Amino acid sequence: MWGEYSTGLLLVLVAAVIGFVALAVETDDLHRLLLLDLVEIAALGIIALLGSDLAEALILPGLTVGIAELLALSQIYVTKENLKDRPVRGLNIEVIQKADAPAVLSAFLVVYGLILSGFTGGGVAALGLVFFFASRGYKEDLEMLEMAGGISWAVWILAFFVFMFLPQYWFIALMCAGVGILIKVMVKLSLSGTVWGERHG
Amino acid sequence: MGSLGGIPLYVLEFGDELVYFSPYTITLFLLALTFTLLAIVSRPERQVDVAFGGDAYTTKIISVDEMRFRRFMAIACGLASMGAMVTGDVFNFTLFTAMVGITNVGIVAAVKSPHVQDAAYQYGLVALSATVPLFGAAALYAAATGSLSMIELAKGTLPAVPLVAKALLVIGVVGEGMAPFYAAKAEMFRAPGAPYVIMCSLSSLLIFLRVAEVVMIG
Amino acid sequence: MIIRRISHYLCRYEHIVPLFAAACAVLFMASVLALPVTYHEDQLYPKAIDRQSPLDPYDRGGPPFTQVSIHAQYPENSPTAGLVTSYLTPFSLFLADTTLHLGTTIVAHPGGIIDEILYNTRGLDTVVETTILLVAFAIASFLYRKVR
Repeated sequence: MWGEYSTGLLLVLVAAVIGFVALAVETDDLHRLLLLDLVEIAALGIIALLGSDLAEALILPGLTVGIAELLALSQIYVTKENLKDRPVRGLNIEVIQKADAPAVLSAFLVVYGLILSGFTGGGVAALGLVFFFASRGYKEDLEMLEMAGGISWAVWILAFFVFMFLPQYWFIALMCAGVGILIKVMVKLSLSGTVWGERHG
Repeated sequence: MGSLGGIPLYVLEFGDELVYFSPYTITLFLLALTFTLLAIVSRPERQVDVAFGGDAYTTKIISVDEMRFRRFMAIACGLASMGAMVTGDVFNFTLFTAMVGITNVGIVAAVKSPHVQDAAYQYGLVALSATVPLFGAAALYAAATGSLSMIELAKGTLPAVPLVAKALLVIGVVGEGMAPFYAAKAEMFRAPGAPYVIMCSLSSLLIFLRVAEVVMIG
Repeated sequence: MIIRRISHYLCRYEHIVPLFAAACAVLFMASVLALPVTYHEDQLYPKAIDRQSPLDPYDRGGPPFTQVSIHAQYPENSPTAGLVTSYLTPFSLFLADTTLHLGTTIVAHPGGIIDEILYNTRGLDTVVETTILLVAFAIASFLYRKVR
């Protein structure tokens, strides 16, 4: 009865108990948030113990949900504690601001990201955008970014329905999903990059 | 199929994840749909503060921005509840439940009052920690039975689901749907914008009703 | 009297987190006592390890566009599952040809069965997941803009 699975489960469950006990006795709000991140790992451990390819496919949503809620909660924390911005300096280097190099580098990264597509491409392209914004002292245009995020979400959903109801066009659906996730990752990364960026005035 | 809470009248197939409509799930689905439509068409109420001992009263102004955001959250919450009502997959159910939790946080957190923000934060912490038992339960379901489909589980040919998994699932759902109970003191509900906070209560009630069906399977 | 004290404790929302965390801790402790759990051997999407493949542990066998069989719950619902085995950019193809360790960088080069599960057979999960992400980002950016 005590196979490898049960032994692994024992370890993860004990870890979860420790995490939750710590969460129960902690009183500071910020520390609670950090401890929660720790407890989440126990959940991922339980899923990972499945040991099949399904486990990986379940970990991704689990991880994403955790990260997403963590982001929303930390923003609520900032609002609730009424934390004002601390001024953050961008890369105020004259050479970078004036020269063409950042634009060229960013363009290269974005184009390469577009070619890669998918998660990787989103990451690479976002890096290019963040670098560009950081070097140019970018003024936020969050609405635009949010809109792009919403559109990419819609593209993804469209791809899903094509997969489900028109399976003969699966290749188009795959490409749509790839492009959707590219834009999504890019937008999210550059959003989180610029939200904490430079303040003007 | 007896333990499914009625024979599925219609099964919608999304790959491995079946969405099934049995009399029980249809009822809950229609309930969620109705309230989502109500949230779409209704206008938020304006809260009136009356100063005692005089004739003075003030109406709190809700900005259009805030109203639109809360309506968006209420609609998303309604969609999540609808999904949670009809999905036939255990992991999918936990995801929809997690979405109900986060949209409830969103509905509450949009209010400016610091008190409400504090309550929303505390509730958000619970909703986030509830994902641990939720996803853990789904993984245990898969490990012990080799399937996540409720229809397969209800056939009775697979091994029984461990009691632990069911208990974890229930406590996870309780955590996600805890907001209305902690609004008992009306800290959150005192905030203006009535139709949207109702979505919190209703979605929690619905996911409680659905998890009762889910734990009876398998 | 005791009920009044309990309800007095419960009615403060600051106590909700410790309470829930304690309940979870107790339940997880109970589940430790309920071990061992029998692992069902007939799992969906089982994993095969082939150490000799450059794509290990994500090798699903076969070139792209020739269908590989996937042990899905309802194979008849996903007729195209298994057509995409992996997609490699020229660079990752180069890596796969020269080293045995491309698979360990799978986070950087996704593809194969995970995509098949995420987009296709269990696509609804991913739809919900991205929606949760959208909602969470909407909350964060709404609050962020409100504060400023």
